[in-house]
Amino acid sequence: MAISKLNTILTVAKKEFKDHLRDRRTTLMILLLSVAMGPIMLLGLGYFISTMEQKVEKRELFVLGAAHGPEVINFMLRQDITIKEPKPDYRDLIKQGKHDPVLVIPADFSAKFLTGDARVELVYDDTRQDAGNASIRMLRNVMRGFNTEVGNQRLIARGVSSAVFRAVEVQDTNLGTAAQRAAGLLFIIPWITLIGCVTGCMSMAVDLAAGERERGSLEPLLMSPIAREALVLGKALAVSIYAIGIALITLLGFAMTLKFGNLPGIASVISLSGAQYLGFFVMILSFAPAMAVMQMLLATYGRNFKEGQTYATYAIQLVAILPVVAILAQVKDATWQLLVPVMAQLMVMTRILRGESVEAIHFLLPAAMNVAIFTIAVILISRLLRQEKIIFGRA
Amino acid sequence: MIDVRGLEKNFGTATAPIMAVDGVTFTAASGAITGLLGPNGAGKTTVIRMIGSLIEIGGGSASVDGIDVARDPNAVRSVCGILTDARGLYTRLTARENIRYYAELHGIDVQKSEATINRFVDWLDMKDIIDRRTEGFSQGERMKVAIVRALVHEPSTVILDEPTNGLDVMTTRALRELIKRLKAEGRTVMFSSHIMQEVAALCDEIVIIAKGRVTAQGTTEQLLAESGKANLEDAFVKLAGIDADFSESNGAKAA
Repeated sequence: MAISKLNTILTVAKKEFKDHLRDRRTTLMILLLSVAMGPIMLLGLGYFISTMEQKVEKRELFVLGAAHGPEVINFMLRQDITIKEPKPDYRDLIKQGKHDPVLVIPADFSAKFLTGDARVELVYDDTRQDAGNASIRMLRNVMRGFNTEVGNQRLIARGVSSAVFRAVEVQDTNLGTAAQRAAGLLFIIPWITLIGCVTGCMSMAVDLAAGERERGSLEPLLMSPIAREALVLGKALAVSIYAIGIALITLLGFAMTLKFGNLPGIASVISLSGAQYLGFFVMILSFAPAMAVMQMLLATYGRNFKEGQTYATYAIQLVAILPVVAILAQVKDATWQLLVPVMAQLMVMTRILRGESVEAIHFLLPAAMNVAIFTIAVILISRLLRQEKIIFGRA
Repeated sequence: MIDVRGLEKNFGTATAPIMAVDGVTFTAASGAITGLLGPNGAGKTTVIRMIGSLIEIGGGSASVDGIDVARDPNAVRSVCGILTDARGLYTRLTARENIRYYAELHGIDVQKSEATINRFVDWLDMKDIIDRRTEGFSQGERMKVAIVRALVHEPSTVILDEPTNGLDVMTTRALRELIKRLKAEGRTVMFSSHIMQEVAALCDEIVIIAKGRVTAQGTTEQLLAESGKANLEDAFVKLAGIDADFSESNGAKAA
């Protein structure tokens, strides 16, 4: 009995795989998109990171009315900062994200500087999440430095030690490495891989569930002497292998781009080892089947392919949205996350990416969760296939 | 042999029952062709689906070759070849691959199933289509593939639900020949239809079903005698109780 069930599972899986791969257009499309995903995302990221680095390296600042404040300008020049004249319509441009932040020195700066109530204006738009942030940070630091220096000089001129003014000396020691800063963005690699594998296997998952009934082949199939569980497991096996394959191809796209792409910005901060890729693969190995079978379960409720597809789309939205929610809520790595699919994979894969410590529990807990999801989904689908309204598609 | 005793199926609720099948009893003997004759919605398909365990038996019992359907549905499925109106094929697979898939699900080895497939291909004249993908097949071609798929495990009992629906004359003729051959091989053959002539031409025994009940049973001659009509169609209309409905609704309209 056990052997015959195994045979059934393999027979079903083999047939579904052959059947699906013959749909050349869909298969090719999914393969191409999966392969292209890595290069496209990394190209965008690389550009982003490299412009950020360039701005910091260049040490350029835009100052309007430089002639009014020689005290400030001299201080900047001593810091090796190049002063640039902003464009006339810089305020609009900043709002559009086309101009870096600008320091405005008013005409009466020098006169007021002597009396001690000088003022400068820092013009920026903090709703724009781009490399301009580096400029703002630099401008603030420079002005702080200028204030400290001038203040110290004035205290000394009055015969007071500058130490009186400073209760505590604060020294910056930033432990974040360039790679870690980049990894903050490179979570996109696992995220896109996860979305890719869930999206890629959707058409197959839906076809195996809702499609089987829509084309009228479910009824004869259920009248062959096979166990429902074996039938569902066979289908689950086929779609799981497919989903894992898509994830592998997506990872391969990332790997090839990182290795041979020679992308500006990326190559300097991130390079992944074989062990790291292996870690990714292990995470996906249990995630992909669980998500694929979840989609099959959702699609089984659908009366036809279209309805099945609608339901399965929810699984994709979950994968796409959960990480965003986690980022917005600023969730810190915690054990409970390991029990939430998607968040678990994202957390562990990002740790791997950052080169942080990864322990056995990081692999085992998500895997156990995925096995549970897979098993429950298979049991539920098998049960559904015993219900008349599901078999015949009645509302 | 198919043995059906007091079979019931309620598609409504306990308080508001909709009895699709309401105490159907009949026997279909081995080596004979039994026709399940009835108007649309009489419950023929529901009876067949219950025998194939596609839907649960509501009451009564059914057995095939002495195997109780409720007790061992898979054993029944192994000895039955059932063709319902769901005749969907996998369009990206060839006709042969479609059929072979079912042979594998039945656990039949490749050589044996190939021999069976080739025999049916001969009988049903499918040489031109057997190795083509089933995408774009005509209704008749799809029907032939579906029938071979249902018979590839050489079942002792063959149940066909309205097999000639939507088929052209040539395919219908080929199908009738097939049914006769299956009988000659000693199998139990049962098919449902709402066409009296078709049933009369092929069947050794006719079971007339209407509104979920067996209203008459016997050979063509016995049914003619029982109804007191000279013509088959009139006999069917009378025995199925359709004439009563007809005059009732006419009467209602007149009033």
